[in-house]
Amino acid sequence: MILSLHHFLMLSAIIFGIGIYGALTRRNILGVLMSIELMFNAANINLVAFNHFLYPERVWGQGIVIFVITLAAAEAVVGLSLVLSIYRTIKSVYTEKMNILHG
Amino acid sequence: MEQSLLTLIFGVMAALLIGLSIVVVTSRSVFRGAIALTAALGVVAGLFVLLGADFVAASQLLIYVGGIMIIMLFVVMLSQRPRDHMDRQTNEQWVWGALFSLAVTCALIVQFRAVYRGIFATLPPAPTTASVGRLLLGDMVIPFEAVSLVLLAALVGAVYFGLSKKERGR
Repeated sequence: MILSLHHFLMLSAIIFGIGIYGALTRRNILGVLMSIELMFNAANINLVAFNHFLYPERVWGQGIVIFVITLAAAEAVVGLSLVLSIYRTIKSVYTEKMNILHG
Repeated sequence: MEQSLLTLIFGVMAALLIGLSIVVVTSRSVFRGAIALTAALGVVAGLFVLLGADFVAASQLLIYVGGIMIIMLFVVMLSQRPRDHMDRQTNEQWVWGALFSLAVTCALIVQFRAVYRGIFATLPPAPTTASVGRLLLGDMVIPFEAVSLVLLAALVGAVYFGLSKKERGR
């Protein structure tokens, strides 16, 4: 069996599904953030695989992956400092407790 | 021979990645989930190497595993209480969440199998660092500069939200 494009695509689809499950069902806000990182990585695998198998002479896919990694870093930093700030205010990291704006 | 070796490596990496991701979303201890996520990101870097994206693999290891995951582990350690291990870690809608994610995964797999079946690599992997650099400072220079602005905003936002209320008032 030779490696082909749809092996990588199927792997990333499975990882993406696991990430969706985590983002929908974790009670802990940090778990939700980690599931979102998993989904970013599934998309990155897709981009690099398309680059390698369909357009091997150019590197646009890899360039976009660099941007995704950078933006994921920015998102994680802001998100985590928000989590710390929320934890300081309501002393909990569970999403169902975060209803101060609920009225 | 070499192809079957590559396939074997891919299979091992895929099994490892799926197992680690399941640990990330299901483990009761968030700390254990974060450690599993670190390992999973390392495996993804290995997949990038397999796909001939050496520069992306290096930045994945440096930024994700070395940067983001360290911050995440710190926040996990700062925001947990000892009895959190005993609590249930999923909410009431986990059945519907599982069904929804299963549906999305099946749809993606069916579609990918239908459209992208039997496409093989035409060129062997080659070093890409030089061409990625030329791309980032050539055709992609405007998004590159925009990302620097986003990073500045994220930096300021992180410092602001990280301050306590008393320090923020000053």
